[in-house]
Amino acid sequence: MPTLTIDNRRIEVPEGTKVIEAAEALGIMIPRFCYHRALGSVGACRVCAVKIVDGTRKGVQMSCMLDVEEGMVVSTDDPEAVAMRRHVIEWLMLHHPHDCPVCDEGGHCLLQDMTVSGGHGLRRYLGNKRTHLDQYLGPRIQHEMNRCIQCYRCVRYYREFSGYRDLGVTGIGNRVYFGREREGTLENPFSGNLIDICPTGVFTDKPARYFGRRWDLQRGPSVCIHCSLGCSVTVGARYREVARVEARYAKAVNGHFICDRGRWGFPYTNEASRPRAARVDGEATTVGEACAAARNRLLHVAETAGSEAVACLGSERAGLETLKAVAGICRANGWADPLFWLERRARENVAAAVSLLGDDLVLSLRELEAADCVLVFGADPLGEAPMAALALRQARRQGAPVFVFDPRPVELPLDFHHVPLAIEDLPECIRSLVGAAGDRETARGADPTVRSFTDQLAEPSVPPPPEAVAALRTSRRPAVVCGTDVTDAAAIGLAADFAALMKAQGRRAGLFYLMPGANGFGAALAGTEAASLEELLPRIEGGEIRALVAVEADPLGLYPDRGRIEAAMRKLDLLVVLDYLDTDSAAAADVFLPSTTVFETGGTWINQEGRIQIVRGAHRGGIPVSQTGGGGHPPRVFMEEVPGGQAAASGQTLTRLSPAEVKGASEWVRLPPDTDKQSGTRAVLPDPSALRFAPERTALSGAAGDEAMLTVIAVDRTFGTEVLSSRSPWLSAEETAPTVWMHPEEAGRVPLSDGDLLEIDAGGGSLVLPVKIVENMARRTLVIPRHRDAAWQRLGATRLRIERDCIRKAQPVGENAPVKESPPR
Amino acid sequence: MIAWIAGFAVLLVKIGLVLGVLLFLAAYLVWAERKLLGRLQIRYGPNRAGIFGLLQPIADAIKMMTKEDIVPEAADRTIFLLAPAVVAVTAMLMAAVVPFGPTITLWGRQVPMVVTDLNVGLLFVFAMSSLGVYGVALGGWASNSKFALLGGIRGAAQMISYELALGLSIVPVVMLAGSLSLVDIVDAQASYPFILVQPVAFVIFVVSAMAESKRIPFDLPEAENELGAGYHTEYSGMRFGMFFIGEYVHMQVLGALIAVFFLGGWRGPLLPGPLWLLIKIIVVALVMIWVRGTLPRLRYDQLMALGWKVLIPAALANIVITGAVVLL
Amino acid sequence: MNPDERHYRKLKPVPPQRFRTISEIGEALNALGQGFVTTFRHLFRKPITEEYPEYKRTLPERSRARIVLTRDPDGNERCVACYLCSAACPVSCISMQSAEDDNGRRYARWFRINFGRCIYCGLCEEACPTSAIQLTPQFEHVKREILSMVYEKEDLLVDHSGKDKTYNFYRWAGIRTGDRDKGEHEREDKPVNVRSNMP
Repeated sequence: MPTLTIDNRRIEVPEGTKVIEAAEALGIMIPRFCYHRALGSVGACRVCAVKIVDGTRKGVQMSCMLDVEEGMVVSTDDPEAVAMRRHVIEWLMLHHPHDCPVCDEGGHCLLQDMTVSGGHGLRRYLGNKRTHLDQYLGPRIQHEMNRCIQCYRCVRYYREFSGYRDLGVTGIGNRVYFGREREGTLENPFSGNLIDICPTGVFTDKPARYFGRRWDLQRGPSVCIHCSLGCSVTVGARYREVARVEARYAKAVNGHFICDRGRWGFPYTNEASRPRAARVDGEATTVGEACAAARNRLLHVAETAGSEAVACLGSERAGLETLKAVAGICRANGWADPLFWLERRARENVAAAVSLLGDDLVLSLRELEAADCVLVFGADPLGEAPMAALALRQARRQGAPVFVFDPRPVELPLDFHHVPLAIEDLPECIRSLVGAAGDRETARGADPTVRSFTDQLAEPSVPPPPEAVAALRTSRRPAVVCGTDVTDAAAIGLAADFAALMKAQGRRAGLFYLMPGANGFGAALAGTEAASLEELLPRIEGGEIRALVAVEADPLGLYPDRGRIEAAMRKLDLLVVLDYLDTDSAAAADVFLPSTTVFETGGTWINQEGRIQIVRGAHRGGIPVSQTGGGGHPPRVFMEEVPGGQAAASGQTLTRLSPAEVKGASEWVRLPPDTDKQSGTRAVLPDPSALRFAPERTALSGAAGDEAMLTVIAVDRTFGTEVLSSRSPWLSAEETAPTVWMHPEEAGRVPLSDGDLLEIDAGGGSLVLPVKIVENMARRTLVIPRHRDAAWQRLGATRLRIERDCIRKAQPVGENAPVKESPPR
Repeated sequence: MIAWIAGFAVLLVKIGLVLGVLLFLAAYLVWAERKLLGRLQIRYGPNRAGIFGLLQPIADAIKMMTKEDIVPEAADRTIFLLAPAVVAVTAMLMAAVVPFGPTITLWGRQVPMVVTDLNVGLLFVFAMSSLGVYGVALGGWASNSKFALLGGIRGAAQMISYELALGLSIVPVVMLAGSLSLVDIVDAQASYPFILVQPVAFVIFVVSAMAESKRIPFDLPEAENELGAGYHTEYSGMRFGMFFIGEYVHMQVLGALIAVFFLGGWRGPLLPGPLWLLIKIIVVALVMIWVRGTLPRLRYDQLMALGWKVLIPAALANIVITGAVVLL
Repeated sequence: MNPDERHYRKLKPVPPQRFRTISEIGEALNALGQGFVTTFRHLFRKPITEEYPEYKRTLPERSRARIVLTRDPDGNERCVACYLCSAACPVSCISMQSAEDDNGRRYARWFRINFGRCIYCGLCEEACPTSAIQLTPQFEHVKREILSMVYEKEDLLVDHSGKDKTYNFYRWAGIRTGDRDKGEHEREDKPVNVRSNMP
């Protein structure tokens, strides 16, 4: 731990720290362009010059390139260093186009700040400026090469950190150019970070282009709710319109970056079609009247058919407050048990994952990056939680081998071993790895439960992949990543057992689940005994349940059996919907009540590792001025009421329409004390030890061997399947086209070639989709994205087994009807 | 009975006369002040309403009466509404004991040219003057505003400091006249006005009187550039107008008192008594305006130092010297 | 010792007040008298007031009153809606929305100045990087209707260049617009051919 002196202040820092970091620890911000904490040093910009007064290398040095030494004396304000920095800035500004007034970076531009603080005001050089032509980089990023200062942050991030190759650098000397080989949309689903990382205005946010300066935005810290990771973001809104979402540094979660889904997934909050007014039987009315109407009708249903005839459905995208209100209203009124899930499998999977995730094993995204061997079971990180893929890449960059056991054609920005196996074979595969993970003896000595579990393990029917076994043997910090979307409870349990076993062997093993929705964890905590809509449907169909209150949930649009849910909804006397989206359910509602988004009222979200994140709203909400004013100037007269400002958070509205009083405090979510002050801490996880190494998981029958059966899985993709972000017009170009993926062998048996139409007769009807034949996926498996145009809601379930003769080639004229049909009622 | 009714009628006429003159003069004193101040500062002063702006007081009155009377939400309502009346009424009551002419005989009745000849007239004047400060202090306090409160406190402190000097400076006059009645004091000056024998008392009285009427250079309770408008910051409309009237009536009454104590009251050659008094009042008022146009506001410590360290010792010394002279 | 005391100890002691000599009192009285004489003399001077509605003097070009949006010498709107004026405005009376026109020029879709709130401080003009927003000497624009004091862009836009007759921002700023491509602005070289290493 060397001790050095910077500007007459002493500090002790670990060996290998750069001088610029040591200064930062003292609160001295040395100017920098090329240095970035996530990207490290490169010494390209020369603006971090300091004077080394005493040390082995004296004189003016680049503080980002210099390791600290014992007894080093650094001066950041030495006249020589200051002059050097001033000249560097003047020189960087030689070719600057002087377009700050029309540049979107102006106001939060590092180059602008440094130029102003360095005192450089007039261009003294009288020669001509070098210019560059710009490229079209897609609908989200604006390119303006003249502003470039050649810090190389963009290519270092793009190629090294995030692992994509289509943005690069060309030219020498004064002519260095950062761009693509030819114009076109950037392929990187993390490309939006270029905007944050560029110290000047070369890459700017195209959708928010010319919307407003940062100082005019109502900015507030928020959390991304487009997947279960819960990355930290900063929201900027103006004139009642969310304009920009930026990455916010979160040490334990996303670090400095976010994915494009999180950055540009917000337009749902600004949509012109967003329902702002309450409706009763299709007629717009005030929220107060609609609440009264809903309350009266619910009372009526409860009086005529009993209070058990009312059900309330939440969803995994709602905040904890809303889920709490759902549970509370059900208990207060004696309604049926609260529902938080559409499908039983989803409920069971997440419940299993939450109950098995203990404080001993849980990994944060940051800790996942530090793993030295990663095994991914039944998960497509890029599709389900994109930032997890970026974390895996960081682990890989540190040398960790990555193994992915998944039926899908998984793509990751890193080199990894993909073992495409049928989803039914996954538990068997994990079991084989458990068996082969080596050194059973140590584990056996540890614990009687572990011993009996390993003793009872049946011999695996599938041999484990030898590379994985070899990598596991030497690994000290193995990490198990397990999806909960397409897997089943057995695989989820075995993944936890596997990690726990490795922990018992004395390694620093960790477990990382991916979960559906932003608040799947919260939903699982909220309703341990709560059933799913799938389990309740028979009671609706039997006429027992007469009324349904759907809170930020869309049973009609998202239940995987469209025909059945439509019929069931028709049987209801009353459907009350609270939402901020114009979903199918909202259109079919008898009483509709508008609610607010995370940008307006905030809320509490628990991410997939149990981290509680509390955010406040960034702005007040209401219909954006750009919509009320018709694009022209806002109204000239002052109005007391905000247009569209009647919406309140779902939880609040729920308590208003509840016939019985809903108690505010509730004991079912065990939050640590002072959670409000410690947003970002982990929830107290239940002790999972009793659930681990369950004997029933030792004997599993590999079911996938049946050649007559096919497995259909409806899966999440990076863009286009998540409920909120799939409404973003800026991401639609990057959505995966609604196709069905097949292994060439399976396609050959139908027979089909790439692009042919395939008709699938499934539980909920038939659907026709074009076929995409890919090599790197499992046999006996059909993969369908849950895209809004894919009609996946006719499958009957998000994961099901069908007879092989249920699929056939369809004629191109066959209608490929979209799932969106007229509302049933 | 008839005598009583006639006496009462005469009294009413006198009250009406005095009040009418006072209020009319107050209004035109404002005009005169603005006009004169303008000229002192090489400006025109009001010149839009009527010829020479003569209708300006009427325009101002209409404006004030038609303006909204705002009572701040946090104010103590009753006291807030009462305070301006206290200021205006006490100022007018002081005029009741000022004689404005020799006793005349009307239809065989002796009619003194004073509203009421109290034998403790001097005490009454000082009592009213002290009560006036209640209006200032209470108005400032009841507004529930920091500026008004500061103004009110300054007003109270200033009154206390200068009341002493004011009272002490008059003691030699009383010693010379041998009476507290203002009528007697004027009668005592039949041969010569007291200013000739009491110049020091005169100066002390004039300075203290200006401080009492809160005029520049002693306008610290108002101090528009420090306190907004001091104790009447929160007042508007006619309630503000009452403070205003109070101040200008006070100015005239002080002018009348200066005349009574030092300039021989209504006494003067050739012209009738009341006219002489009026002339003296106006001259005093014009001098006060001239002072306002010339001197800057005192600092608070200067104000206190002047009152306690200069005026009061000087007044005490004056009493001792006068007493010695009278005794000899 | 409490901190306040320590603070007071640092202050220098006040020197004792000197005994005032007669001559000092005389000087003071003399000064006082001079003041009265000066003001008294003023009574007989002709007032220097210029009586406004009858006599309107020509104000200097740079006096600060009603704000206008000027055009560049080529007749295009100068305002690029950079929000600097609204940021500089101490009373927040300027608001706008920037947008991009068909030519790639940034402009104000709407621009509003609330003259009911404006204090005519001129900070917006000082902040303007394109000489678009300028204050004019024309101060007589009081209205009875408060809403008519809210000026929109069409009320503000004038068809001259105001005080700055020459500056055209888009001639200098190296961004691509309909008129000028990259390399066609003042003091610019032709764009680099990135596919060649020839200098």
